[in-house]
Amino acid sequence: MSKKKTGRIVLEVVMILLSLVFLYPLFLTIINSFKTFKEVMTDVIALPHSFTFENYTYVWKFINYPRLFLNNTIVTVLGLVGIILISSIAAYKLARTKSRTSLVIYFLCIMPMLIPFQSIMLTVMQMAKSLNLSDSTWGLGILYWGFGAPLALFIYHGFVKGIPKEIDESATIDGASGFRLFFSVIFPLLKSVTTTIVIIDVMWIWNDFLLPLLMVNGSPSTKTLTLAAYTFVGQYTSDWQYAMTAMVMAVLPSIIVFIFLQKYIVKGVVAGAVKG
Amino acid sequence: MKLGRKRAEKLEFGIFTLPILISVIAVFYYPFVMTIRYSLTKWNGISKHPKFVGLDNFKQIFLGDTNFTHATWFTVKYAILYIVLVNVLAILLALVLDMKLKSTTWLRAAFFIPYILSLVIVGFIWKFIFMQGFESLGVSTGWSIFGLSWLGKPGLAFISVLLVSIWQSIGFYLVIYIAGLQSVPDDLKEAATVDGAGPFRRFFSVTLPLLAPSITISVFMALTNSIKVFDVILSLTGGGPGGTTYSVAYDIYRDTFQNNLYGYGTAKALILFVAVLIITIIQLTIFKRREVEA
Repeated sequence: MSKKKTGRIVLEVVMILLSLVFLYPLFLTIINSFKTFKEVMTDVIALPHSFTFENYTYVWKFINYPRLFLNNTIVTVLGLVGIILISSIAAYKLARTKSRTSLVIYFLCIMPMLIPFQSIMLTVMQMAKSLNLSDSTWGLGILYWGFGAPLALFIYHGFVKGIPKEIDESATIDGASGFRLFFSVIFPLLKSVTTTIVIIDVMWIWNDFLLPLLMVNGSPSTKTLTLAAYTFVGQYTSDWQYAMTAMVMAVLPSIIVFIFLQKYIVKGVVAGAVKG
Repeated sequence: MKLGRKRAEKLEFGIFTLPILISVIAVFYYPFVMTIRYSLTKWNGISKHPKFVGLDNFKQIFLGDTNFTHATWFTVKYAILYIVLVNVLAILLALVLDMKLKSTTWLRAAFFIPYILSLVIVGFIWKFIFMQGFESLGVSTGWSIFGLSWLGKPGLAFISVLLVSIWQSIGFYLVIYIAGLQSVPDDLKEAATVDGAGPFRRFFSVTLPLLAPSITISVFMALTNSIKVFDVILSLTGGGPGGTTYSVAYDIYRDTFQNNLYGYGTAKALILFVAVLIITIIQLTIFKRREVEA
């Protein structure tokens, strides 16, 4: 028994060491964001001589961080709200209506999951231009409706089928119908799937790169966080201390959110993968 | 009265489903049809009228495009190694984390963190580690492994891209396998122990078969993600050294947006679509068959 116990302790220590090695690149990124250029060049793994926020104030102003943060928030929230609204309401109607039209529309809407984005990126860009959706933060958010809808519809559809029809009927007797029936009776019942969709879509839209690169790269005022970090590093290839600062500023919001909502995020990601 | 109700129902059906239909048609179907159209043309994106050239683009791609051949080979090699390695490593880690160590919560969080980061940023972070960090690590440890040119030699650059992708995403597969392991009943494992099965026997004849649904999901996700690999290569190697780390998606991006070969690029994009479609259909068939057996 005690031999087994020692084995467990050894395993525990090995695993903790492994996890520290695993996260070491992130640690190096953080400490180097506090160094001067000379310090980065002489020794990357040494701790900074003094903790100053000079790099941060410089990059903060240079890339206009608050603006980027606001842009990211607008795109993510607008995209997310749209995806959830159009998908949940359609999923409800399509799952409740047993007809050929309903089935055709359902498959038409989930099939695009098979189309890789790179296959249509050029023509998406042109379509967005002709609809005046390009070069605009709001336009980018709206584009995510279509891109996010197939998976969301698929997940919602599977869930609505499990909600007994009697609930609709009793609500109808109480005088609720149409939008009111959906928003006050059905939508609250979808809470657990909605959480899953919120988590996977926020992670996707917040970090997305290629679509923003094609849509809003024209002006500094419309850029997203990841995109701005990308262009910034491109300009400062040798000034690693600024590059690392920009990296930290780009990923910090995600890490903070993850620390607080870890349990939900992991659960949502697993649920999304299993259902999708 | 009855006719009116029916009409109202139809109207409601329309109102509820039209928004999603319009959105999906706008970003998928319309662009897709246009992709097919452009793939039959020669066009630099500037002139008003793309020149119709029939199937010439496809002929050229299949007969004499070494870039595309290289990119395809890179992507196939990358996808196979990525799928195998990320799944094997994730299963091993999940087995350890399922042993209910005291630090399990920390470990799970630690391995998951890179997954919440943007791939482009992850590429840059590792570029810094490979270029600057390894130099310092080599000096302080004296290990020659840190002295290698991880981004400068073709073979090593391939391994770097692979390692960084695995580093970023292993947490995702890990949590799927942990969830899968938790659904394996403990008494089943105990029964196997009573029957005299050692840990390896127990793993291969009890745990692994019961993990099959998780493996299917993970392989599926790993495959779909790896054939479209792009972001991480863009920031880590930029396709280099000597153009050896271009993936198919990156090759399409290069032709369309950097070389302004709009027609030619979309033809490649269409080939990517067909490849993804075929692979998905094969996967779904295998998936279905296994479900029937279970």
